[in-house]
Amino acid sequence: MNTELSEEAVEFGRTALRAFEAAGGDQLVQDAEREPARRAELVEPVLDELGAWELDPRGGADELEAAAALCKAAGWWALPYPVAERLCRPTDGSTDASTEGLVVIAGTEPGPRSGPGPAAPVAGLGPRWSTVTLDGRRGLATAAEPVGSPRYTAFVTELIPDPIPAPVPDLPAIDGPADGLADLALGLVLPCWTLLGMLDRAMELARAHVLAREQFGQPLARFQGVQFQLTDAEVERVGVEELAKYALWAVATGRPEAVDDALALRLAALEAADLVFRVTHQLHGAMGFCDETTLSWISRYSQPLRRLPLGQAATRDHLTQRIGRIGLAGPFATQLEVQPR
Amino acid sequence: MGEGVAALRRDLRQLVHKHVPPDFLGAFTDDPADLEVAQSFCRTLADLGLLCMAWPAAYGGRDATPWEQTVVREEMWAHHEPRGAQYMGVNWVGPTIMRHGTAEQQAQHLPPIARGEVIWCQGFSEPEAGSDLASLRTTAAPDPETGGWRVSGQKVWTSYATMAQWCFLLARTSREQRKQQGLTIFLVPMSDPAIEVRPIPSMIGPHHLNEVFFDELRVTEADVLGTVGGGWAIVQEVLAFERVGIARYARCERLLQAAPAALGAEWDQLPDELRSRWARMLVHARRARLLAYRVVSLQSGGRIRPEDSAAYRIAVTRLDQESAEVLMDIVAGASLPDEDGRRFRRAVEDHRRYSVSATVASGSVEMQRILMARSLLAAR
Repeated sequence: MNTELSEEAVEFGRTALRAFEAAGGDQLVQDAEREPARRAELVEPVLDELGAWELDPRGGADELEAAAALCKAAGWWALPYPVAERLCRPTDGSTDASTEGLVVIAGTEPGPRSGPGPAAPVAGLGPRWSTVTLDGRRGLATAAEPVGSPRYTAFVTELIPDPIPAPVPDLPAIDGPADGLADLALGLVLPCWTLLGMLDRAMELARAHVLAREQFGQPLARFQGVQFQLTDAEVERVGVEELAKYALWAVATGRPEAVDDALALRLAALEAADLVFRVTHQLHGAMGFCDETTLSWISRYSQPLRRLPLGQAATRDHLTQRIGRIGLAGPFATQLEVQPR
Repeated sequence: MGEGVAALRRDLRQLVHKHVPPDFLGAFTDDPADLEVAQSFCRTLADLGLLCMAWPAAYGGRDATPWEQTVVREEMWAHHEPRGAQYMGVNWVGPTIMRHGTAEQQAQHLPPIARGEVIWCQGFSEPEAGSDLASLRTTAAPDPETGGWRVSGQKVWTSYATMAQWCFLLARTSREQRKQQGLTIFLVPMSDPAIEVRPIPSMIGPHHLNEVFFDELRVTEADVLGTVGGGWAIVQEVLAFERVGIARYARCERLLQAAPAALGAEWDQLPDELRSRWARMLVHARRARLLAYRVVSLQSGGRIRPEDSAAYRIAVTRLDQESAEVLMDIVAGASLPDEDGRRFRRAVEDHRRYSVSATVASGSVEMQRILMARSLLAAR
């Protein structure tokens, strides 16, 4: 088991960070929110320049790692674009090849427009999306016209699933459940890398703030109450980083439990996000709510990643149901014990 | 980790299955038979060349890779550390003597450790010197009669002092400008009548906590490890050996994974909320294990930073306590009628008792946070 990202992938991530910065950096999400119709034209040229769409995350560990590094870089800048979802688009012809990308959805029943139901932060980026449900069923959906300002929706829009065709007797299915589960694992893991990039950024912003901001004649960083909050949040962040690398390895090697690993990652990432954003907001004080601070933007645009397809409690319940009595794979998994004691 | 490491894991499990009774919950109980199990198991490991795998071949080891060492740590801790107190001699006393000991000290101390025949205790903490170790007051005063020193003072929380044959003792030999200076390591026999050990009864079990009193203990130049006054640097190395420390996550993970089978049909009757907490703990156990692997990997590459090991220590000690709480809840309402079930309940209760010390032992979690914050907030 080697879960370290290759040096090439790490370097690609650095290149992407610099490219996004050169294209506007933190300004990108602010411009896209102000002029939602320009979202694609603000971001797509730099992604094209990076060769993002030549990456095939299903094409092997190297490309998957590069895709993960790209998602993380996108998260750092809260890039107003579903990079992970686009990278996950099916390429095997199993679904309509003209879809814009792949989105994991919690169910196939449409919900009320402002409530639960399939949805994704894909507003205004093309109508047709491939979907995969949490039990691994592939499908297609149409993105609804955006309702409301992205300031409040963070570009989330409803997805209206196509009717599921009735099975035709005596004809083999286009794809087996294994393909859908592989899509599901990939579709869960890459957005977690985007969220990881956001956690990295939030921590770096908080670190810089407590070093610069003085109260009672000394930087906030000198206060142990501040230090301990920051360390607890950092432990969460670095833990997610390791689980993200592990889940990526599970996807790359096609392990049968890759969906469990992806859900385990997602659960840890959502827990970490709650703590990291709670702490980083607290340490910024009132400044953190203001749009002049980057934290305000990162925090708001982290919400779709944290709520869709399932929030923390529902993710935990789903993982619990999936692993049943077996638990997670690992050296102490029940079936790996060599001798019953 | 490759196939060789997996094979080692299988070998260790077979050995534990063969040589350690299923009821074994560690060497430190009220039953002397448990200590004998550990002593005997150490001799078995030594005979097979598995006790000191990490040691260089020149000292009778196998030059084990960091990943082989990791598997040994995991398997031993997961199975209630059947090496007993020997792990200290193997993990850090021996390696420190290899680095700083004289040829005579190496010849005297390394072979018994390698054979699994000797127990060491660590004379560091004092009533007034816990996290602030350099403030210790145990003093080695010059002895004009012998040209050596006479050590007087008190140590506390000294694990295994009741059964140890040797003590790795830190004492002050001079007052210098900085309190970290003037400290010296002595290797002293616990059989000396100038040493008195008083056990401290505690909830984590016998032998774990003791007071050790030194009353004019005579030591000589031959007992000094390294240089006189150079003890603090050695202490730092000892603490570095403990960076990864015991693999607490391994026992947590093993007990969590074993819970459904131990409960049998009762597992399905547990509240959904409790099973969901169990699943969450499994994720946290995996997270702690991966953070340990990260430290091993960074250490191997010479890229380790203080915050890396501190992050792991914070995560794993929290896991130890939180997993104990979840496991206690799981067994609380279960009848566990058969022997396997009763055994599981005892293991969980033992885990819970011991877990309370996780955030205190080997450096408190607050010290880890301070260490981590210092690194995080340092200039880059």
